[in-house]
Amino acid sequence: MRALVKDGIGVFSPQGFLDGNNVISFLSIDDIEATAKLNVDMILVSLKKVVFFNRNGLDAFVKMFAKVRAANHATVGFCDYDEKKFTAINKFYKDDLNFSLFSSYAVAELFASSFKDKNKNVLLYSEDKSQRAAMAIELHDNGHNPIIAQTQEEFKTKSKNANAYDVIIENTYLGQMGQKIATRVTGNAIIYTVSSFLDTQIGNTFNIAYHNNSLNVGFRLFIFDAFKVVSMNVHALNFFSKLASSSAEYNATICFVGLSFEKTPIEFKETLEDAGILFYEQMEEILDNKELLKELGASSATNVKNKRTLNKVIVTELPNFIEATVETIEMMTNSKAIKDAAKVDKIEIKEKDGKIASSIGFYGDIDGMVMLVFPIEIAKQACELLIGEETNDTEMILDTLAELVNIVGGKIKTLLGEQGHRVDITLPRTYPNVDALLEVAQEKKGVQVDLSFNDDKFLFFLTR
Amino acid sequence: MITKEKIEGYIQKIPPSSKILTVTLSLLNEGELIKAAQIAKQDLALSAYLKELVNKPIYGFTNSVSDLNQIFGILGVSKSQQAVYNYMIHLLSPDQWKLFQLNKQSFENLQAELSTGWQKITTHLQEDSKEIQSAIALLPASMIVADALFGEKIDDVNLLRSVNPIDLNTILQRLCGMDLFDICEEITKKWEMSSEIAEIVQAASGVKPSSNTKIDTLGKWMHLLLFYTLSKPTNIEAGLNDFIDFQVEYVGDIYEEFSTLMEIA
Repeated sequence: MRALVKDGIGVFSPQGFLDGNNVISFLSIDDIEATAKLNVDMILVSLKKVVFFNRNGLDAFVKMFAKVRAANHATVGFCDYDEKKFTAINKFYKDDLNFSLFSSYAVAELFASSFKDKNKNVLLYSEDKSQRAAMAIELHDNGHNPIIAQTQEEFKTKSKNANAYDVIIENTYLGQMGQKIATRVTGNAIIYTVSSFLDTQIGNTFNIAYHNNSLNVGFRLFIFDAFKVVSMNVHALNFFSKLASSSAEYNATICFVGLSFEKTPIEFKETLEDAGILFYEQMEEILDNKELLKELGASSATNVKNKRTLNKVIVTELPNFIEATVETIEMMTNSKAIKDAAKVDKIEIKEKDGKIASSIGFYGDIDGMVMLVFPIEIAKQACELLIGEETNDTEMILDTLAELVNIVGGKIKTLLGEQGHRVDITLPRTYPNVDALLEVAQEKKGVQVDLSFNDDKFLFFLTR
Repeated sequence: MITKEKIEGYIQKIPPSSKILTVTLSLLNEGELIKAAQIAKQDLALSAYLKELVNKPIYGFTNSVSDLNQIFGILGVSKSQQAVYNYMIHLLSPDQWKLFQLNKQSFENLQAELSTGWQKITTHLQEDSKEIQSAIALLPASMIVADALFGEKIDDVNLLRSVNPIDLNTILQRLCGMDLFDICEEITKKWEMSSEIAEIVQAASGVKPSSNTKIDTLGKWMHLLLFYTLSKPTNIEAGLNDFIDFQVEYVGDIYEEFSTLMEIA
């Protein structure tokens, strides 16, 4: 069984009965190794569909938690349980509860640095006073408004007025929380989370290949969430200065949010500002200000540093790229694709209205980017399978489109792997209209393939 | 990925029940065990299947049983009918499973596990109707159908499920407007099985509760039995554990009784 990863949170969802006899079948050694290598903020095991478990059944997952935390410092724990299961877990691991317990996935999300929805009013209660404080601090750090009930009675009284709160937390426990450089996308800004002491290790923990490829895909705003940073030394200062200089070549902006200079020399701030890094106190100052977001580059991607051309390897693999894309869209829409035309040139989109787009980059043995332009109706149809219902909510369609393009990326990765090319894929980027896409793509040369699905025109563009 | 036409084609390809099977079932229905055994003997594959089935350790017979008269006699009317239905479903199973890591032997074991579990449940619930006791035989048909429809699309299914925790039943429902259990119902119609069997199995999907309280209760027990069985290591390794969604809330009110009956610690 593998974890399903979404928005930086990996979730295992076993079903049925969980005991010492069958847990090895749910979670093999390979599964544990693969999980430890995931680039996530959180690894959770959902007990929602588990009707029975005993300590032996949970032990294999608990051992995995230790491995994952040792490998990448992610937050680990169980979620989606009722009070009876919560009591049972506490009883099993009374003196050894070093993982977290979140009563639901929605509660866990609040504690994940990758969670997009901020500013939630959260009522919380725990019998343990230090747990109450720890939860409130974490929630506050993540941009929410925690309201602590000091007694069970107070909690009961307050929770009767459920409409006053977005989320009510009980039966939740924070084990050791994760500390890692995480990546998440809010709108089209990439947010990295940094914490504790920033020193020479930042060079090892920061995924520079991922960052460079995000630049290439067209991301232009990178925010370092630094609320939990205690201090920074000169090695980290040099690292960020260099990062800012190299990003400037792409006209990208780097910001620090919430960085305190109590224990970091204030001169460092001036040095970083000289390198072009901006400082903000609150994440909302950027994310809630659409004008500022636009100014900082989250919706723009002009001035691409390198206009790279396609190479022979990519052209040779072109049929694989098209096959991966066509198969996925066919699968999602249950319709057949017809190839209308193909050419090597700059991207050309004849009818811009009613279209949305998405792109995904790949890097490794070969690198490049696939852009897909969908008529919104095809996108809606393709997304219906994932959402389960018709929707006209553009944001939801774009989010689901990103998942769909992720599937295409996964397929490309597999197909290229079969040809002996090892590649990784970036996060998908979405564009609410064609103009936004053209800001990234109009100067790039690549292979354009026009396809029809049930007479709807669909465009595939492969470039570097 | 899968179209309604493909499903219709699949249903059309299901062979009608043979005359021997029809007559055997009809005689069993009348309680004519010896006559039914005489007819069943003419189908050598059926005889071999029944011999193998009842001699599985899970049936708990100390001595090997090989004569069909003896087999029907030991099993009694209800269990004999269930065994014949198991054989019919077994006929549908593929030579080579693609989606699930199953083979002839492991599928038969799964059928036997479900049948003995269901026997325990129907005895506990004091349900002695032949149709109710036989209903369990149809349940594994959902796995056969899933393998037949999704077997060639394993990579697509895996990719889809790598971004969304969606079960095969839901995928099929969203793509074609009918799910695995609807197809099972079509099988019952083709084989002229009792409509009660189809109703119980539809409820056992966990997503289509029956308005008939009795059928709904039986559906809950069957749904829980299914996941109790699919939580066995061999079935998890076969990839069966998550082919449909386990509806924990649906079985909430019978779980304690189930765990006592099955002696779950």
